[in-house]
Amino acid sequence: MAGTASGGSRGSRLAPYLLVAPGILWLLVFFVAPIITLAQTSVSGLEGPWWETYQRALGNYGTHFFRSFRYALGATLFALALGYPLAYFIAFRAGRLKNLLLGLVVLPFFTTFLVRTFAWKTILNDGGPAVWLLQQLHILAPGGRLLDTTIAVVGGLTYNFLPFMILPIYVSLEKIDRRLVEAAEDLYSTPLGAFRKVVLPLSLPGVFAGSLLTFIPATGDFINAQLLGSPNQQMIGTVIQNQFLEVRDYPLAASLSFVLMAVITIGVLAYARVLGTEELA
Amino acid sequence: MSRRESDMRDDELHAFLRRAITRRGFIRRSALGAGGLVLGNSVLAACGGGKDGAPAAGADSATATAGGGKTLRISNWPLYIDKQTVPDFEKATGIKTEYTEDINDNAEFFAKIDEPLKRSQSIDREIIVLTDWMAGRLIQLGYVAPLDPAKIPNLANLVDNVKDVSFDPGRKYSVPWLSGMTGVGYNPKKTGRELTSINDIFDPKFKGQVTMLTEMRDTIGLVMLANGKDPSKATAADVKAAAAKIKKARESGQIRKFTGNDYAEDLAAGNIAAAIAWSGDIQGLAADNPDLKWIAPKEGAMLYSDNMMIPKTSDRQDLAMAWINYVYDPKHSAQIVAGAPYLSAVKGSGAELAKIAPELASSPLVNPPDELRGRLHVFKALSDAEDTEYNRIFQDAIGA
Repeated sequence: MAGTASGGSRGSRLAPYLLVAPGILWLLVFFVAPIITLAQTSVSGLEGPWWETYQRALGNYGTHFFRSFRYALGATLFALALGYPLAYFIAFRAGRLKNLLLGLVVLPFFTTFLVRTFAWKTILNDGGPAVWLLQQLHILAPGGRLLDTTIAVVGGLTYNFLPFMILPIYVSLEKIDRRLVEAAEDLYSTPLGAFRKVVLPLSLPGVFAGSLLTFIPATGDFINAQLLGSPNQQMIGTVIQNQFLEVRDYPLAASLSFVLMAVITIGVLAYARVLGTEELA
Repeated sequence: MSRRESDMRDDELHAFLRRAITRRGFIRRSALGAGGLVLGNSVLAACGGGKDGAPAAGADSATATAGGGKTLRISNWPLYIDKQTVPDFEKATGIKTEYTEDINDNAEFFAKIDEPLKRSQSIDREIIVLTDWMAGRLIQLGYVAPLDPAKIPNLANLVDNVKDVSFDPGRKYSVPWLSGMTGVGYNPKKTGRELTSINDIFDPKFKGQVTMLTEMRDTIGLVMLANGKDPSKATAADVKAAAAKIKKARESGQIRKFTGNDYAEDLAAGNIAAAIAWSGDIQGLAADNPDLKWIAPKEGAMLYSDNMMIPKTSDRQDLAMAWINYVYDPKHSAQIVAGAPYLSAVKGSGAELAKIAPELASSPLVNPPDELRGRLHVFKALSDAEDTEYNRIFQDAIGA
């Protein structure tokens, strides 16, 4: 904006628009246009009414939708249960180790998503260490397996998206003014009370962001289901991929994508209402 | 942040798609990529053979030039060639060659080239190699340039039984690269007995220990054979019956997975006892893990060929035909087979192979005896409508 500096007030009034223009353009070209094309595709090549394909999508693949949301919800809850305490520890108790621990949380990203999921295949192998250990402990029946089960798929989802849960929660915990906790304790609150009344409410935006960053991609994920699940654990992402690339039924694939997006959007809005945060909107 | 992350993930997913649904060489490639993480060193050793040098081979070795100094650009499936073939070709002809192993799945590769070819734009390739049914689709769509027999004298070496095929009568547009068989691969230590039939896959004793392929023609074709039907005359009713059998087995938990090439990994790891499998892969694994076996079931096996074609938009079709002429020399074809144990369609290639790799030349996988040839079937050429319908039935059966 250096060139317009002498232009005075007119330039500064335009500045915000110029600054958002690239972003808007980006969204128009890479988000709005594809969405419109997708919508057109989903209702193309029909003889009957426009909702015909959608009827087929919901009729044939309802179970896949429910399964995807169930698995994603499970993975989000597990990730929250594992991630919150860890984020709390890093933010409040890690001391000098803080940066090291944060680095370790991000470390898996230095390997690609795929290789990490493949590694789980090796770990969960029928002849692998995990199965052996669980069988020794009589948790898993002899001849039982982990690979290609629901546990493996939900476990894989949890593992792959865990950092997306930890990092936002960590950020929101880190921002909390420690004097607020001290004040609570000065006013005779127990440590648990201070956590419940002060820390937890202030960290909710992080929980909200983390849950979304876990739940949304987990719902559409198909790698974990494909690599770690049996045919009876396939998720909606696998179906969409197959319809696009193998069957080449583009209208059906497009309508499945739309239904998925619609349900996720509605779910997220409802969740935002419940958690009372305006960050998303 | 979330958008950038998801874009990154999309890149990985696309890379995955390019590899995961592949039929050939995925395991070996992924094992190389992952530093042997998945399969360990044994498979790396098995697939070594120096073949992994092939893709880069074209870049630095050609000094002389021909064909106006233009580069010949070839797309093929991974690890489907001997590493010496491209350098030798460059030396013999002076044509600079760029050999890329970027075809991993017929449908997926089609999705890539369909749009440009539809608009008559170049896809920057002189040779592409696709399976029969996909070759048929491309020819039907008019995407393929006709071959000029005058420029390919070695075409006389094409074996007689594939000179006339339904998808390309008279072989005007396509010639086979290599062929393979789809049958049953198994681990006798896990099955406890020899397998002979496709129905062994459905034996309740192996519940949760068998896999099938995601390629519709291979899996449906074999199950049709088990049902006593001829895949070359597949009807909607036959496909539905086969799909119903598969669906029932899937829902009961009999079938552990529907896979691309990754079934080999599960076989090697001992996760599965038996699988619908491709002949060349099992041979590759058996070299290192002698437990594994591949059979053409008594009901029959599926035969597929991958075919070289010249996209109509290529501006260097003479170079492409020089390449076809080169690989149709029996000596050169034998060299390719020595690097990738599949069936050659070049007359006299067997005799040449016996000179350079005698033990391989007698393998039924490279040279099926007449008795086995009689049991090989090719899936019917499907119209687009049939293809969509049968695929829909199949995808429903495999739960995807």
